[in-house]
Amino acid sequence: LHLTPGPPPMDVRRRPGAAAADRPTKSRPAAAAAAAPAAAPGDLVLRPPNLRLVLAAMALFLAPFSYLAFVHYPLAADLRRSILICGAISLGGFFVVLRLIPVAARYLLRRGMFGKDINKKGLPMGEITVPESLGIVVGIVYLVIAILFQHFNFTADSIWLVEYNAALASVCFMILLGFIDDVLDIPWRVKLLLPTIAALPLLMAYAGGTSIIIPKPLASYVGVEVLELGWMYKLFMLLLAVFCTNSINIHAGLNGLEVGQTVVISAAVLIHNVMRIGSSKDLETQQAHAFSIYLVLPFLTTSLALLGFNWYPSSVFVGDTYTYFAGMTLAVVGILGHFSETLLLFFLPQVLNFLCSVPQLFHFVPCPRHRLPRFDTQTGLLTGTKDGNLVNIFLRLFGKCSEKSLCIRLLIFQVNLNCILAVNFIFL
Amino acid sequence: MILLGFIDDVLDIPWRVKLLLPTIAALPLLMAYAGGTSIIIPKPLASYVGVEVLELGWMYKLFMLLLAVFCTNSINIHAGLNGLEVGQTVVISAAVLIHNVMRIGSSKDLETQQAHAFSIYLVLPFLTTSLALLGFNWYPSSVFVGDTYTYFAGMTLAVVGILGHFSETLLLFFLPQVLNFLCSVPQLFHFVPCPRHRLPRFDTQTGLLTGTKDGNLVNIFLRLFGKCSEKSLCIRLLIFQAVSCLFCFWLRYMLTGWYK
Repeated sequence: LHLTPGPPPMDVRRRPGAAAADRPTKSRPAAAAAAAPAAAPGDLVLRPPNLRLVLAAMALFLAPFSYLAFVHYPLAADLRRSILICGAISLGGFFVVLRLIPVAARYLLRRGMFGKDINKKGLPMGEITVPESLGIVVGIVYLVIAILFQHFNFTADSIWLVEYNAALASVCFMILLGFIDDVLDIPWRVKLLLPTIAALPLLMAYAGGTSIIIPKPLASYVGVEVLELGWMYKLFMLLLAVFCTNSINIHAGLNGLEVGQTVVISAAVLIHNVMRIGSSKDLETQQAHAFSIYLVLPFLTTSLALLGFNWYPSSVFVGDTYTYFAGMTLAVVGILGHFSETLLLFFLPQVLNFLCSVPQLFHFVPCPRHRLPRFDTQTGLLTGTKDGNLVNIFLRLFGKCSEKSLCIRLLIFQVNLNCILAVNFIFL
Repeated sequence: MILLGFIDDVLDIPWRVKLLLPTIAALPLLMAYAGGTSIIIPKPLASYVGVEVLELGWMYKLFMLLLAVFCTNSINIHAGLNGLEVGQTVVISAAVLIHNVMRIGSSKDLETQQAHAFSIYLVLPFLTTSLALLGFNWYPSSVFVGDTYTYFAGMTLAVVGILGHFSETLLLFFLPQVLNFLCSVPQLFHFVPCPRHRLPRFDTQTGLLTGTKDGNLVNIFLRLFGKCSEKSLCIRLLIFQAVSCLFCFWLRYMLTGWYK
């Protein structure tokens, strides 16, 4: 691994007429980018993508799904056909993202969108300028796939067309706002507003039921079995979108954690979808979960391509663009697929992380700029600080470890909780 | 389109890829378009063509795509003076709104009325928000609009033209942009040398702009009508835009019944 600090590139300056772009400090609550004073971007250091890991992950996550969809459950033939088409396009998207990330990384780095890896500070690797916001590549390829897929699946008069396009509009809006946040570094009070704005198409287009089924044990207390929530249901949808986006954003800071957790949740969602289709006789439910599959499958594959470059040691950072895009995509399928409670259960680590973070986020307790562990250059291990997030809590509970091991531990935690919940469902 | 336009402003995408951006952005439109794909042949030509209504099928969708690519890029290249980009868009939008309400008033077909109402709902907020930007962008500009705006503007107008079913009329409103594009073709396709910016020469002593040999309306107006200040030149070009739109209305009025 070589380190060549290049001369300040002249083309960081914008086109004549616009203000000179002295890239301001990149400051993000828990991203792995350093808040060091703006340096000029160095050369692009892009390791080859970790294909072994990613293809293994794809096989691991898609195998149960494929088995359930094509072997275990007797799904309708055209549903299977649609899933196959979706899978083929998604696989294509995987390769396109792999191909585009190096190209985009060059442009992003050149235009000043980069950070330094705080968890390697003190080592030569900590001096490398790592391109930021590569989530934009995933977002765009994902949108193109999702838009094109309509052609193969929905007829012109399908009622799902409206909801599908509203979903895409929300996701697209979120990618736009997330990218703007990465470029302009929006203050956090406004940041909370961004998912609210991005969720508007979803809220406007939502034409489904706004009632919830009260769990049987509580029905006697509440008085009714089905509770009509009306506008409160839409408020819940909005809060879900805000929560999903921001909770992924704060459960971050280690190489590969943001994409990794998203990939695990997506795999769980897909398995849940196919299980519900297989075990339900209601056509509406089946269509809702099929809808979710069509949106999550390309999301999973394109994210895995990003993981190839983002896994430890990260060649690229994903940016708020990715975490907001991820949160919104999952919130959207949870809402339109009518399984938002289950989605929240899959988000349990994120919920725990959020709860632990509350004292600091709301300033009951001092909140540093980055709530990251301390890196020891001698041992190469991370030590937990007193910050209230899972990253540090795991370090304090289970002892010091390397960044890669810690990330793996957190992802195993995610997988375990998701599996338990997904499996539990069988018995409900 | 806003997303891709903003990415272009941030990353400075090479122009060959830039041409692809409106294509990608127009995909939702193409996928969702469920309307007719036939065109009405103008009456005088009907005897030559053989039919009155010609079914174009996929070629209609190709036309939609080309319209989106054209509208976005043509506004983008008819630029370079303070307030020109927003100004031309505002004029075209106003013309579109007037056309919409005239068509609603004079048509008995419910479908047509709804199509033009749809267009009004999308263009009205576009006009007012653009005017707010013009407040800061008019000479002398406090802010520049970026490719984000020109692409967004072109796509908005293309979208209403397509979904409102008045794309031929829209192209007539775009007459100055069409002329500008045609004049620019030799340079854009490198038959003739093409400098980085095809802008006039500014004389610091007099404060006036002088036309260069570049093939765009900005320079052609300067060569035809003499040197003038940036503000006056912009106003002249916007008057040209408004007059073109008026001409278009007159043309439609004259030809109504004769060709459709």
